[in-house]
Amino acid sequence: MTKPQLVPDRPTRYAPYDLAGGFDQDLGDPHRPDLPFFAGRLRELDALEAFPEDAVRLLDARELPAHYVPARHGGALRSYEDLLQLVRVVARRDLTVAIAHTKTYLGAVSTWVGGTAAQARALGERVAAGAVVSWGLTEREHGSDLLSGGLTATATGDGYRLDGEKWLINNATRSHLVCVLARTAPEGGTRGYSLLLVDKAELAPGTYTCLPAARTHGIRGADISGIAFSDARVPAGALIGEEGQGIEIVLRSLQITRTICAALSLGAADRALRIATEFGLEHELYGKRLIDLPQAHRTLTEAYADLLAMEAVTLVAGRGAHALTEEMSVTSSAVKYLVPSTVDELVSSMGQFLGARSFLSEEYAHGAFAKLERDHRIVGIFDGNSLVNLNALINQFGVLARGYRAERTDPEGLAVAATLSTPVPDFDPTRLDLTSRTGNSVTAALPQSVAELRGLAAGGEVPETLLALAEDVLEITDETHRQMASHRPTPRDVPAPAFSLAHRYTLCTAAAACLQVWLRNRDRVARDTAAVAGLWQDGLWLEACLSRLLERLAPGVLPAAAGDGRPAADSTAVLDRLMPLLLDQYRTGEMFSLLSFPLAVSPSALPSASQLLETS
Amino acid sequence: MTETAAETGGPAALESALGNADDPDNPLGFRSVLEADERAEILPEGEKALDAYGFNAEYVPKRLGGRLGGIERLMLMMRTVSRRDPTLALGYGFTNYISGSAVWTSGNDRQQRRMAEILLGGGRTAAGYNELAHGNDFTRTDLAAAPHGDRILINGRKQIVNNIGRADAVVLLARTGDGPGNRSHSHLFVDLADGPADRVRRDFRYPTVGLRGCLIGGAEFTDYPVPADAHIGPPGGAMETVLRAFQTTRAVLPGMMVGTSDTLLRTVTRFALDRRLYGRRVADLPHARSTLVGAFLDLLAGDCLSTVACRALHVLPGQTSVLTAANKYLVPKVLHRSSHALGTVLGAGSYLRDGTYGVFQKFARDLPAITFAHANASVCQATMLPQLPRLAATSWLRAQRPPAELFRLDAPLDDIDYQALELTSRGADHLTAMLGHPSAEALLPTATTRLTGLLRADLADLRERCLALPPREHSVVAGRAGFALADRYAQLAMAAACIGVWQDNQHSDDAFLRDPDWLTGVLSRIAARLGHDVGELPAPTERRLFEELISREESHEGYDLGRPQLSLA
Repeated sequence: MTKPQLVPDRPTRYAPYDLAGGFDQDLGDPHRPDLPFFAGRLRELDALEAFPEDAVRLLDARELPAHYVPARHGGALRSYEDLLQLVRVVARRDLTVAIAHTKTYLGAVSTWVGGTAAQARALGERVAAGAVVSWGLTEREHGSDLLSGGLTATATGDGYRLDGEKWLINNATRSHLVCVLARTAPEGGTRGYSLLLVDKAELAPGTYTCLPAARTHGIRGADISGIAFSDARVPAGALIGEEGQGIEIVLRSLQITRTICAALSLGAADRALRIATEFGLEHELYGKRLIDLPQAHRTLTEAYADLLAMEAVTLVAGRGAHALTEEMSVTSSAVKYLVPSTVDELVSSMGQFLGARSFLSEEYAHGAFAKLERDHRIVGIFDGNSLVNLNALINQFGVLARGYRAERTDPEGLAVAATLSTPVPDFDPTRLDLTSRTGNSVTAALPQSVAELRGLAAGGEVPETLLALAEDVLEITDETHRQMASHRPTPRDVPAPAFSLAHRYTLCTAAAACLQVWLRNRDRVARDTAAVAGLWQDGLWLEACLSRLLERLAPGVLPAAAGDGRPAADSTAVLDRLMPLLLDQYRTGEMFSLLSFPLAVSPSALPSASQLLETS
Repeated sequence: MTETAAETGGPAALESALGNADDPDNPLGFRSVLEADERAEILPEGEKALDAYGFNAEYVPKRLGGRLGGIERLMLMMRTVSRRDPTLALGYGFTNYISGSAVWTSGNDRQQRRMAEILLGGGRTAAGYNELAHGNDFTRTDLAAAPHGDRILINGRKQIVNNIGRADAVVLLARTGDGPGNRSHSHLFVDLADGPADRVRRDFRYPTVGLRGCLIGGAEFTDYPVPADAHIGPPGGAMETVLRAFQTTRAVLPGMMVGTSDTLLRTVTRFALDRRLYGRRVADLPHARSTLVGAFLDLLAGDCLSTVACRALHVLPGQTSVLTAANKYLVPKVLHRSSHALGTVLGAGSYLRDGTYGVFQKFARDLPAITFAHANASVCQATMLPQLPRLAATSWLRAQRPPAELFRLDAPLDDIDYQALELTSRGADHLTAMLGHPSAEALLPTATTRLTGLLRADLADLRERCLALPPREHSVVAGRAGFALADRYAQLAMAAACIGVWQDNQHSDDAFLRDPDWLTGVLSRIAARLGHDVGELPAPTERRLFEELISREESHEGYDLGRPQLSLA
């Protein structure tokens, strides 16, 4: 095992969790009806389709916008790990608020990626001062197909004239600035678009109109609207990057924003599992507490394991933005596909668990579950939907398969990405590539990780059951990459099976990320809560996560049946051992997490210990 | 289908009465449906139209003056409404039927006549089963009915009850004995028109995410008196009534949901034909085509199982306890997944409440809500599971093939006989014999031979597993392994239903139904769900299915087995 240099071997807490946890505590007790994040209030606003002004203002007052601005441009953003976790705690409280607020980061990121230092500093000052920035990419008739965009920017000598419309734009109406993708070459094409940062206050009256907000299924209070320009004049200085670089800057920026979307899903998953756990503890069925019925028990531990796996994936991806930046085209697409879709399923499963309550928009837990289920559905759609992200992976099958076969990794970058106690280097946007030339280090390290695990199993440090799962993962991952290698690139007619192959690839890469996180941190994690200690003991969480990922890689396959005195080999039984840890994190009000992640807790909301003690 | 044109009304007449769904000026069209949903109202013109049609007669047995004969027809009627508006289908009054079915099953003559009178007079009746504290566990019901002098007094609450606020009568599940046992509960027929209004509060409303317009309410009874003979069936006999009557509701609801899925599929098919992405029609992208074809197949498979479940109530009434539970468990699940996949093709359009495709999000919200409205997945799995070991021992791989009337869509059925329905299947399962019938292979298209072989092996494997299941694992407190077996059983029952429908309709004049493409497609999807690596559909099969999908969109035909003509007027 290669140990990264300069890392102390003493247990360390994970700083971003303490930062975000402190931020959450500053937001106050979410159960207090007089505070902006009270669920009952947010539900009312949702019903009225009213913007959550108070909650957004509170985030401004707590200086969340400073975390949208890189430190080098005068802000507080030093590591994307911090931003991920801040978004996660806000999303856990309310997705509409999180989506409405973080949009400013999305609007600004193109300037961090493609703008000049002066542009970035100027925008940084505006953002830190509370300016709302939106990102105008999509149009009514073209959806995710950016290369069909019809809004034009025509050079006028001293600037540009904008004509056309952007639609389904978060904060299009409320924003002060809009970063607009505009066609600058009549023929379009990958070099035919440019980005312009438009300050609405500087436009001549009548040259732009905000379009009425769309009526959406969820995030009803958010400002999902549009903006139409007609002979709107912007100065030459509004151009971000060079003319014709728009698509490229957008694609590089999306590598960051798609990674951050995972935080929205992680926050939603925590909330959904928490509501379901509470219900499982208080509801009785067939004379037992729901949580004590084996089927219900398993439903909760499955969700918990899925959440932990997605957390591991997100941690490596967020750190990877700094340490494996060149691979982000792969990482971000895999994360943006896998985390929201996994959490959509998790939320559905919790809905089944809650039964009719999940459909009551007011009655149960202030309708919070029903609202989050509707709200979360957008995460898999915006900022590049499932198909767009899978397609991005399919386009890189060749290099990914070759890199895997050669076990090609960036060992230092990988060690930093996976070792939570190592500080990450500053983010360097110039290292973002449109396609990864080296493949995916996390996945390519899988054979090595499994070899390492074999050594630990031989020394009795991990159970054989864990190793057996890892061997299964390796076998499936080998086969998946063989199939990816035989995929024939077809830019237009991507065959349907390639999408299911890409789906499997993301599950393999998630398993590889879990292994890396466990191997690189098992000696270092501060086991300062009972739950964290239990999760890391004997690789319990890793075994549970691999078991779930394998189930999803082989859906419908039953474990081998018992026979001839041989017991059934049910590798999913490990999930049951998660329950005490899940309940411990529920009881202490910490985030459901691999690590200690203290949050604002309401003393009155904590269940009594005696209520939980009866549970196995 | 089973009914002839000579019968009054029918799905075609009703569809015609509902008019063109896409006409923005049609007060019964999708535009109005969406507007009513926004107001969280049942489409008022829809209720008037169903009143005018006399829809309640569909719920009332012919012998009592209604039009209810075959359950399949009821299902197709409900499907016709739910293709237009699931909220109207459930909210107008499927609960009229749920409550009615308890009376048709066990009520005395007077109760049956009164129930029929209310419904045929255009009234509403509610099905008062649910208490939030106990969900689908009826054995824990708290609402109590106790004798008091020459009357019975009712005390307690019911929640999540459709139409209770405006019902003329309610069928109540009430505790009439101590303890959680099966003999402690009775059905009561409560004529709300007769009783003291001040002893019942029923102005509750539970707003819901799906079926927003439904008047989901509750009731709180305080010393509410009913006559001593208000029991439906013998005191303490509620569970027997439920176990019979709910077989019919579990057969109908999934078949009704096929109509909801029909509109979801049509909406996304239109999008795929209209929208251009990356320089071509979405319909020309292989992934979109494959998703659309998959949803079409899921809809057909769902129709096969729910049609067979409905017909089995007449043809194999001793075996429907398990079959209807399998139907109610699996069909909603398959349709729900399918709606997710369709949403992926529709993209942002799946999230918008208005615009050309706005109907999608409403139907996608309504679809899962229907599942919750009555007998959720766990309850149905828990009905199947305890019976599987006996089915395995008695029937699987050895039972006779069921009669062709089970599958023949044009074979007439006798009127439903609720008393013929058995509380359990007692090990009898003829449906799955379709997977292993000795002559099955000779009768099946060669394209499906490999698939049926896999499924037959799955049934053999399931048999071994069920026989080895320890008793604890086939009770309601079973673990995941037990529930997984119930899922597999339902999948195999669906496959068997598809095979039967294909085999026994070779005389049909519908060439598509006779052709093997759809059967290959549905079996392939079922085998994939059971963990088999079956690969993609053969290209010609997929092409044929996609052409059929487009052709039905262009000719305004439904996607289900009966390919009903959709109204254009």
